[in-house]
Amino acid sequence: MQLPKLYSIAYNAVTVEFSQEINVETNRRVMDLHRAFEKNPFKEYIESVPAFNSLTIYSSASLSIETCKTYIEPYIENKVDMDNHVECKLHTIPVCYDPTWGFDQEFVCTTLQLPIEKIIQLHTSTVYDVFMIGFVPGFPYLGILPKELEIPRKQKPSLRIPAGSVAIAGKQTGIYPTEIPGGWHVIGRTPIQIFDPNKNPCCTFEPGDQIQFEPISLSSFNAYT
Amino acid sequence: MSFTIIKSGIHSTIQDRGRYGFQKYGVPISGAMDPASAQLANLICGNEEHEGVIEFMLHDAKLFFNEPAFISICGSGAHVEINNEAAPFNRLLFVEAFSTLIWKPSAIGCYSYMAISGGLNIQKIMNSVSTFTPSRLGGLKGEALKSSDLIPFKSSISSASTVKNFTKKNGFFFSKWSFPIEEYRSNISIQFIKGPEWSLFSKDDQLRFSTEPFTVSSEVNRMGYRLSGQLQHTEKKPELISSAVTKGIIQVTHEGQPIILMADAQTTGGYPRIARVCPTDLPALAQSRPGRTIRFKEISEDQSKQNIDQYMNWFQQIKSSIHSYRNNL
Repeated sequence: MQLPKLYSIAYNAVTVEFSQEINVETNRRVMDLHRAFEKNPFKEYIESVPAFNSLTIYSSASLSIETCKTYIEPYIENKVDMDNHVECKLHTIPVCYDPTWGFDQEFVCTTLQLPIEKIIQLHTSTVYDVFMIGFVPGFPYLGILPKELEIPRKQKPSLRIPAGSVAIAGKQTGIYPTEIPGGWHVIGRTPIQIFDPNKNPCCTFEPGDQIQFEPISLSSFNAYT
Repeated sequence: MSFTIIKSGIHSTIQDRGRYGFQKYGVPISGAMDPASAQLANLICGNEEHEGVIEFMLHDAKLFFNEPAFISICGSGAHVEINNEAAPFNRLLFVEAFSTLIWKPSAIGCYSYMAISGGLNIQKIMNSVSTFTPSRLGGLKGEALKSSDLIPFKSSISSASTVKNFTKKNGFFFSKWSFPIEEYRSNISIQFIKGPEWSLFSKDDQLRFSTEPFTVSSEVNRMGYRLSGQLQHTEKKPELISSAVTKGIIQVTHEGQPIILMADAQTTGGYPRIARVCPTDLPALAQSRPGRTIRFKEISEDQSKQNIDQYMNWFQQIKSSIHSYRNNL
């Protein structure tokens, strides 16, 4: 296996970068290391932040690349067991794909040359990994999207995407946790509040968890609230 | 015990050291823009250094104390008057009940901090009272302070008659001792360490960044300071995969504009990172108003470490001398 590259982003933070690509295997290496630190933190460990292909480790004291190397060594020699990914939870997330909420369905159907039924079927039949949570608090980057659903981001971001909107862009899909501007194409909406600062944990999912979407009707969506 | 916001000021928020342990959920750290001043204000008040304080951006705020309190104001960016008399910074102040405090314009700086002996009585959200307004976290309902807000605090003193070494003004009392912090912020040359993507920039850009002046633009907020002064950035950069970023990182937009990430920095980002600011220069940077000229000076990781150690020693000294002054109150 290719050894990760280490670099500092602050006097107390080192990024461990695995291979230079976005894929499930690389991300699972990231998550395995992340969980190892959460389970077995070194004395000054504050937190680690998983991203697509990297993990950044924050310390309450200075953290040099050399020291960080000694912390990660016990974990990175092991191969990732792709079939034994037991520590993540699988969440089933209800999504209403009614055009009321899927504002960009028409554009998506035209661009992808697929009927909406096919898009829903493809979007709900895949189990996605939570590659990372970022951009804004609680926004999960989910992948990998079926090839047929790959679509470039909007040229001009929408100014207001409502909370709960389920959207696609590139090889990924995501859920908007709060109302914010955004450049992804909205195809549905979940009635579930995925980010709540008053709850512990504040997010419905951990980075590294898995998500599958389940289609629900407009009436069951309305019954949720 | 409380004070009332009569006028909110330009952007006043409750801050402490920030929110740690939630960046994996995309939640920024936040906290005081100039942590050195916020900590000093707390120590002067006899608080733990990371207690919640009020952060004022520039001037225009007006407060009314419903009860008496020991307070201190540190930082920069405003002149403060208590009951129409100029109040000194970096000292312990006693304000009587029904006192009015006004933040008036000053020529330099950006952020001032008011600490109250005993601390604010604000509910923590995710282990912190720091306000992060974009996601409505912390503070009072996640918002910046606004007029008629009532800010509760914990102290319960009634008079300054029991304290020694205080000077009486018409409107308030102040301690004879003070702890100026200015020596740590006079330098407007900002020391940097090469960033992770330094080598992706052309030799010309590297040279320009290290030698030419940049100006703090008008696009500044708690998330980041955009600088005017462009890097050419003509070479095609590879598309970067987003990864963690943090306070002090200088990223460069596709148009070649440097942005320095500040206290409310997003947790991840994908712009090339040309440099990172030596943490001991961050308070001075935070206090830089739009229009201020900045020069960047490259230092080694070792030099940065020395600066941090030196700052920590200085801070420990200040801390113990404040303690000994406070023991003589």
